Amino acid sequence: MNSLNKMDVLFVGAGPASLAGAIKLKQFLNQSGRDESVVVIEKADKLGQHNLSGAVFEADVLDEIAPDWRESKDKFITKTLANRVDRDELVFLLTDRLAMKVPEFLVPSSMHHKGNYVVSVSELVNWLAGIAKALGVEIYTGFAAKEIIIKDNFVRGIKLGDKGLDKDGKEQSNYTPGEILEAKVTILGEGSLGLLSEQIIEQFNLGNGKNPQIHSVGVKEIIKLPEKNSFGTNRVIHTIGFPNRQNTFGGGTIYSMGENVVAVALLPALDWHYCDLNPQQELQLFKSHKFVNGMIEGGEVISYGAKTLPEGGYYSLPEMVTNGALLIGDAAGLTNVKKLKGLHYAIKSGTMAAEAVFKSIENDDFSKQSLKTYEDLLEQTFIIKDLRGARNYRQVFTRAGTYVGALLSFIQQWIPSKLGTKPDYEGMRKSKLRRQFVDGIDRLTDVSLSGTSHREDEPSHITILDPKECVTCGEEYECYPCESFCPGEVYRFEDSKMILSPSNCLHCQTCRVKCPHQNIKWEVPEGGDGPRYKAM
Amino acid sequence: MNYIVLVKQVPDIKNIPEEAWDREKGTLRRGLLDNICNELDKQALVFALKMREKDNGKVVSLTMGPPFAEEVLRYALSIGADEGLLLTDRKLGGADTPATSYSLAMAIRKIEKEIFSGDRNYVIVCGMQSIDGDTAQCPPQIAEELDIAHIAYATSFNLDNGNLTFERIIRRGAEIVTPENYPCLVTVTEWAKPLNASFTRTRWAHSKELYKWSASDINADESLIGLTGSRTNVVKVFSPKEVRRKVCVFESDLCKLAGKLKESFTGTSEVVEETHQQKYQLPAGQKGSYKGDVWIYAEQEGGEINSASFELLGKATELASSVNEKVGAVLVGKNIKGLSKELIAYGADKVYVIEHELLENFLPLPYKKSISELIEKYKPQMMLFSATPLGRELAPRVAYSSKSGLTADCTELDIVDHKASDQQLIGILKQTRPALGGNIMASIITRNSAVQMSTARPGVMKALEPDRKRTGEVIEYVPNITEADLGARIISVNLHKSTVSLKDATLIVSGGRGLKTRESFEKYIPPLAESLGKFLNQESMVGASRLAVESGFIDYSHQVGQTGQTVKPRLYVAIAIHGAVQHLTGMQNSDIILAINKDPGAPIFNVADYGIVGNLEEIVPELINVLSSQGGE
Repeated sequence: MNSLNKMDVLFVGAGPASLAGAIKLKQFLNQSGRDESVVVIEKADKLGQHNLSGAVFEADVLDEIAPDWRESKDKFITKTLANRVDRDELVFLLTDRLAMKVPEFLVPSSMHHKGNYVVSVSELVNWLAGIAKALGVEIYTGFAAKEIIIKDNFVRGIKLGDKGLDKDGKEQSNYTPGEILEAKVTILGEGSLGLLSEQIIEQFNLGNGKNPQIHSVGVKEIIKLPEKNSFGTNRVIHTIGFPNRQNTFGGGTIYSMGENVVAVALLPALDWHYCDLNPQQELQLFKSHKFVNGMIEGGEVISYGAKTLPEGGYYSLPEMVTNGALLIGDAAGLTNVKKLKGLHYAIKSGTMAAEAVFKSIENDDFSKQSLKTYEDLLEQTFIIKDLRGARNYRQVFTRAGTYVGALLSFIQQWIPSKLGTKPDYEGMRKSKLRRQFVDGIDRLTDVSLSGTSHREDEPSHITILDPKECVTCGEEYECYPCESFCPGEVYRFEDSKMILSPSNCLHCQTCRVKCPHQNIKWEVPEGGDGPRYKAM
Repeated sequence: MNYIVLVKQVPDIKNIPEEAWDREKGTLRRGLLDNICNELDKQALVFALKMREKDNGKVVSLTMGPPFAEEVLRYALSIGADEGLLLTDRKLGGADTPATSYSLAMAIRKIEKEIFSGDRNYVIVCGMQSIDGDTAQCPPQIAEELDIAHIAYATSFNLDNGNLTFERIIRRGAEIVTPENYPCLVTVTEWAKPLNASFTRTRWAHSKELYKWSASDINADESLIGLTGSRTNVVKVFSPKEVRRKVCVFESDLCKLAGKLKESFTGTSEVVEETHQQKYQLPAGQKGSYKGDVWIYAEQEGGEINSASFELLGKATELASSVNEKVGAVLVGKNIKGLSKELIAYGADKVYVIEHELLENFLPLPYKKSISELIEKYKPQMMLFSATPLGRELAPRVAYSSKSGLTADCTELDIVDHKASDQQLIGILKQTRPALGGNIMASIITRNSAVQMSTARPGVMKALEPDRKRTGEVIEYVPNITEADLGARIISVNLHKSTVSLKDATLIVSGGRGLKTRESFEKYIPPLAESLGKFLNQESMVGASRLAVESGFIDYSHQVGQTGQTVKPRLYVAIAIHGAVQHLTGMQNSDIILAINKDPGAPIFNVADYGIVGNLEEIVPELINVLSSQGGE
């Protein structure tokens, strides 16, 4: 069984980037009669459970891996094709009652979504996995990658997390130590805030001279509407304004997912100033706006989730290649904030990685030099072109707020210098929103709708580095920001210490990025634990 | 020694997504639930693998299901099984327990022949029951088809000098038994932590070739499999919850509250209600579809009849009078004839006394043999057992050997007429029971059977007031059994004060985060539990919300809720518990709920029957006083 932990290509994270990459790579290998092993590992119990996105998908990118996908009779494709965006609105929400639709000709082209398709990324992932498995890709769920293995300045693989430890870290009767998986090349498709990706970027100095990466958190509810509803189908709405204050970047989205189901989400940027901002509650506030409420009235929330997305854009992109490893998708920071899209970038980057890796396999050379083909290929794609064109987009909003920023965003690419970014946690101020009681779903109930579960007696995957810092923080802000900013229900300050409920974690990692004292350590929990999204 | 572990793929009823509920019909869309390996089957795998560590051999994992059921075999292989066998065939689908048991038994026969090369030294290990049907009928019925002994509710095994013994749960404690012959079958309860699969073993399991057998591969008699071979039929599936919204009665007068609690507690069970119909009566002279008396199995232990058997007699009397027949009670053991008087007083018209030296202590095989012979001779139309641990392992074997359908754990039994697709059935038994973890109710009728058999949930049917002046017939029967029929030997019995687990408790008092400290929790909750227990003459247990456990008030074994235990006591008292969804999931099926909380808007009051708003520091001591002064009888 010794060779069972050795493989040729290892993808970490079964998201759209990794799966597209695995598919493309196996296609290359099969075509040339090679049988190198392509393995994908995923920390969720089942595929799709840790994936969350909007999503308005530029489906043409699927041509890269399944050219005749439009003819497929698969349930996912039928559903997707039925959810083409025909109606597309950008709406300004002023106060909690007024709404102003932006006339179509004023809406920047990047925010035109007609002709794209609304999909659930969890369902997309399952569809891609079906194709991958049929090609011979091995996919294993319930395995959490804990560490990168580096030897002689080369990434050699990863080490999995242990299973079967008790709360104090002692071995239980079913203790299974995490094995080392050796691969000739490791491809990181961990998604936003991937820990192994960060390890690699640090170890190999891939972020040198780049802007710190910044993020937004998306909190999302799936709502089942009554049969006769005013929202309709094939429709997406993007909003700016309420409930975000003008110094908080971000907006809301309402997408029809078909079959009387809508996805409602709010995406506040994580550099928000307010120490009592509670994104889940802000979502409830958003839903209570007269305009939004009118469309979702009588609906029942059936699912909830949260995830971060990288927003630094072009200047925050790290080098994506090193000896024995590469970064794809969100893990590499490949998202388009202007369009609010990242799925097609993820898939495209996965296929570019596959091409580069295939060449490396043929030459049996997995050094940075050899794998650099990936970055060269990316340079030539729409991805880098788009991102370069929006290179100061996000930054102008930080400097000028929503409205002036919106004006400046039209000329941002002509700003001659690189506008910097500051890490999200530096955004915290003592300002408070002081929201009144908001009607809607309470956070704990929403958390139960995410299906998140963790083995009750496992070691906590979240650690407070210095409990004294929490006391200081509380005095400084006159509140405990983490109690508010966690979209789950993990943090509670009581009796002069922070009490954690790690089982309520949604794995979004907002906490470690937002804690103003950088006092939270988040590690990946035991494989199989976490949210259970079905159609996020 | 070789091992065969039976595993089943079941819907994940612990994680039911909102869209899986059809709120109008009150049913579950089973297709929208994730599929998992039955938890107790995971326990069975660990059991077999641990046995194999002591006595080396092959571990074969067997499942019957559609093609995607192979997932559970991959799981079994990934934690240590050597082979996986998928029994899959459309013809096998739609099977109830006897048809399933027959199919699995035929597969086992083939495993013995082909994989074990005819070596009969093997143990079949099963989880005690599956979470979807939870009848616990297949393992004993498989044993019956294979004509081997079974040992139910094993919690551990011991291998000493080649002697294999099992410790198993019995109603009054634990028993150590050893099988007399091999192969034998063992069913296991929760006993160990499920194993984690390593990556390398998972990868190996992924590409390991599975055995795949069809109905013809196992030489199955087509009349005994699938729908055709089924002896029961589900005629209706409906929601267990009543349509009415619960209205919480706020009672601040603690004396009155104590009185109301006692009344509710000892009164009729509120489990399941369909609109109570007019009692059925078969018109005199008209023939019902079945003929014969209505029997019950009178469970006796140590010279005492289990009170659940008197409940059966109450129900049997009602059923028998509906079809103009008599009530029979079957009493099995040694020196038990004297107990027939009690049975007659509680409603039996005839008592069949089966006495034999070898029947002194309960063993499934000789008991089954005797009862089956009796059924063959006297031909009742119905037979009821209590769904006690003993009943749940005895009834399936009796039913199988009598070629009769069996419905487990019924909460309602009625006589009805029923129009089946091909005929009109008159005066038959409609058996209603919870399924899918209590999330739905199913009504079932027997078909293609000699006798209609059911096990009834204890504590639901009502016993009649005993009439000691009643007379009845006592019929003695000497069964045809010898030492060779025993199948297993009881080595020792360890009777102990029943350690009721939280999930079987009848009375639970739980504390929540509102108690603020461990000292406070310990000051108020256990004393209230004890006091209520004395007042209601019931053993009480202490529970806690997850927040209380996380705050260190009490250990995790007392946690009630989605991530703790699911409980369904007769009375659940929630002190300073807010009532978050995750907690409610674990206790909302309690018959009576009392909530004490200082927040009148706490969601716990939405599911409570009785509520008190106020400070627990004042209310709880006062309530304890009231309870002890009103006193237990």
